[in-house]
Amino acid sequence: MNAILILVGLLVLSYLGSFLVGGRSVRGLGLPSGVEYAALGFVLGPRALGLVGGDNLAAFEPVVQVALGWLAFVIGLDFGFAGEKRVRAGSLVLGSMSALLTGGAAACAAWFTMDRLGVGGTSTDRILLAGGVGAACAQTTRHAIRWIVDRDEGHSPLADRLNEIAHTDDFFPLIAVAVLFALEPTRDIAMKVPLRDWPAITIGLGLLLGAGSALLLRSEMPIEDTWAVLFGVSLIAIGAATRLGISTLTVCFFMGIAVSALTGHHGELRAMVGPTERPILLPALVLAGARIDFRASPALPWIAAAAIGGRLVAKVVFGWLLATGSRPARKAGPLVGLSLMSSGALAMCIGLAFALRFPGVVGDTVLAISALAATVGEFVGPIRLRRALLAAGEIVDAKASPADAAKGSPPSDETRDSRGGAPI
Amino acid sequence: MSGGAATARRGVGFHLTHLLLLGGFSALIFYVTRVVPETQGSLWTIAAIGFLLLAGTLLSELLAPIGLPHLTGYLIAGIASGPYALKLVDEHTVKNLSMVNSLALSLIALGGGAELDFATVRRSARTLGWATLVQCLFVLVTVTALFFVAARPMIPFTRSLTTPALVGVSLLWGALAVTRSPSATLGILSQTRATGPLATFTLAFVMTSDVVVVVLVALVLGCVRPLIDPSAGFSLDSFATLGHELVGSVALGTTMGLVIALYLRLVNRQMLVVLLVLGFGASTIIDYLQFDTLLTFMVAGFIVRNMSNQGHKFTAYIEKTGTVVYVIFFATAGADLDLPLLRQLWPIALLLAGTRAAVTWIGAPISGRLAGDPPVLRRWAWSGLVSQAGLALGLSVLIAREFPSIGTGFRALAIATVAINEMIGPVLFKFALDRTGETSRVMAPSFPSMRPPPMP
Repeated sequence: MNAILILVGLLVLSYLGSFLVGGRSVRGLGLPSGVEYAALGFVLGPRALGLVGGDNLAAFEPVVQVALGWLAFVIGLDFGFAGEKRVRAGSLVLGSMSALLTGGAAACAAWFTMDRLGVGGTSTDRILLAGGVGAACAQTTRHAIRWIVDRDEGHSPLADRLNEIAHTDDFFPLIAVAVLFALEPTRDIAMKVPLRDWPAITIGLGLLLGAGSALLLRSEMPIEDTWAVLFGVSLIAIGAATRLGISTLTVCFFMGIAVSALTGHHGELRAMVGPTERPILLPALVLAGARIDFRASPALPWIAAAAIGGRLVAKVVFGWLLATGSRPARKAGPLVGLSLMSSGALAMCIGLAFALRFPGVVGDTVLAISALAATVGEFVGPIRLRRALLAAGEIVDAKASPADAAKGSPPSDETRDSRGGAPI
Repeated sequence: MSGGAATARRGVGFHLTHLLLLGGFSALIFYVTRVVPETQGSLWTIAAIGFLLLAGTLLSELLAPIGLPHLTGYLIAGIASGPYALKLVDEHTVKNLSMVNSLALSLIALGGGAELDFATVRRSARTLGWATLVQCLFVLVTVTALFFVAARPMIPFTRSLTTPALVGVSLLWGALAVTRSPSATLGILSQTRATGPLATFTLAFVMTSDVVVVVLVALVLGCVRPLIDPSAGFSLDSFATLGHELVGSVALGTTMGLVIALYLRLVNRQMLVVLLVLGFGASTIIDYLQFDTLLTFMVAGFIVRNMSNQGHKFTAYIEKTGTVVYVIFFATAGADLDLPLLRQLWPIALLLAGTRAAVTWIGAPISGRLAGDPPVLRRWAWSGLVSQAGLALGLSVLIAREFPSIGTGFRALAIATVAINEMIGPVLFKFALDRTGETSRVMAPSFPSMRPPPMP
């Protein structure tokens, strides 16, 4: 298919995405992970209908890189905030703990499965694959608990806590990606850099560019110039990262953190940049879906089952810990951790970044498992979240009496999607 | 807080910070290109776009206090970072940026058409008519004559030509000299937000001159073919093609304009995405149909403005989207400037460009007197007509393709001359707008003073 036609198709998707952000209800669309768009991409891609060929995907690599970088920048800008509020320190610790526990469990499960089956190539390949799967499985989508918070902000302790955890578990997965990318540095580099320095260079580059942007944004300037600065520096970050072979996601994420921390205009910037997230995410997910190859490796089903199983167990353990230490979570029961099963945009982005950086078995396997984990998360997460919140008394059953339902029932199908929330 | 107050606050510290940061970003790009000399595919284009956007924006702010237009800042940023200076952006990357150019040209033409109010154009029809006639005639005749006289002693590629062939080439050069730059005009008007007789006249003139030039070049091409290539006869083929192109462009542009107006009335959301679809998708279709892209989009903009009540809304959307795209467009044009060629051909290029500018200057009061224009137009109408850019270069490519025997030399000289006009023209136009008091004193909304929109 003609590249321009595909580009126009992607723009149309952006258009649809912007409507979802803008508050128009489209029944049946708007899962927190956006995995349905990845499925659409898979159907259109070379492994199904073949409408989007492999050469088209290669031609669109710059577009994908820009999308990934910009999304990571938006996530970085939003890091540590849930809505307009800064997250509590406790939530930051819990979010980081959740990511480390879940990512570690998924990575270990993938590693031991490969070891057991005797697959996975060289030891570096195995580390990359297991680490990539761990990074992709570690986080919970920021949109998972959003509708509850939108509905009853400030009066739902458990929903607030879960929402804050979901907003703070992106840090370690992206550090892990930086470390993993460093294991196979670009061969075109003209100078010798020790492997251990690459992650520091990745983070340093992001912080440096973010600080530069923040300095520029401290003074008052026309809105168009503000966009030029944000977009210009982000593109420099993306281009420099791809040329150096380091993680675009990590560089842009830390750039977002630095901009958010140093400008003093965090709220205004989020208001400017936030609405771009969904329109950029949807085409990226479609392109990610088109790249998915479930036959990347014969061992893929086993590795996927082990990693997703590990993720599930880790979430249960984390939920149990959470229930031990938090009264609202205790009311929800030990399975409260499964409420955080919805993985989302970042997981798919990590999968896609691996597929671009390590084409072949490693990248394709990580991407396929990211998509599978997001799909499983959609089946488990929203249902468990509803049960947890019911048990905690923060929502009432929709089947309850009309008076009770009016007080606190979740939004109907028609309204929930407009908030980007999950069908629960 | 008004933008004006913000501007007043900008002192040496502000500009020094921007200069240092620009230096820092340049150093980073320089370092990365040296540390990893080889780049895979077109991924470096991403960083190039980002750098041109940032450098253009910062440099334009740095040059603003000395009265230079933003556009000049964008061009200088492009030249400095391009393949002939600091080499931060290489030739391959500049070629890859052509996609941005088609988007920018579509926005420029849409914006230009949407700025043309039919009632105003009708009121100034007499002015436009005389100006078009006088400027085209003066420039065509004088520049053709100068080229003919100066060719043998100063232009190497003409020395082997016979006298009839030289007449033909001189006529082609004269026709090329008649072209103006809608993009530069729109770029300056977008920055200054100027309103008044000079702004309106210049916009209307450059937009209508696009059609005039297309017709003129087709006419000259048909006439000079037998002079340059004696084996070829006089041909009317180019007129048939021209008719198809003009009628098709107007028809498609009208349809597109009506659809846009309907969309603005019924939906009126996400115009950024709609404009991107138009810029990439519609441009491809127009190229495929072999219509004139600039004319088609210009007609579409004109229809939205004059056949619906959505014109102002549409103009505001284009201004918002266009600013960022213009920076990349002009910075890329700067990066594309062949500096070694300019160094080699500058004496003749300067003579030709200077003569063209002088003739334009002399023609303005004459056409103004014939049309009974107000003094401001008689004095300054020429200032916006000096710029040349993409259209002239596009036509030079067409001429080079039609006449391969002179193609390379002709195109090189065109690039050198356009480079001079491209640098000087916008400065003159902005100076004139400032002097006539048409530059707006109301600045654009600024960050972070703006009220943040509600989060979705």
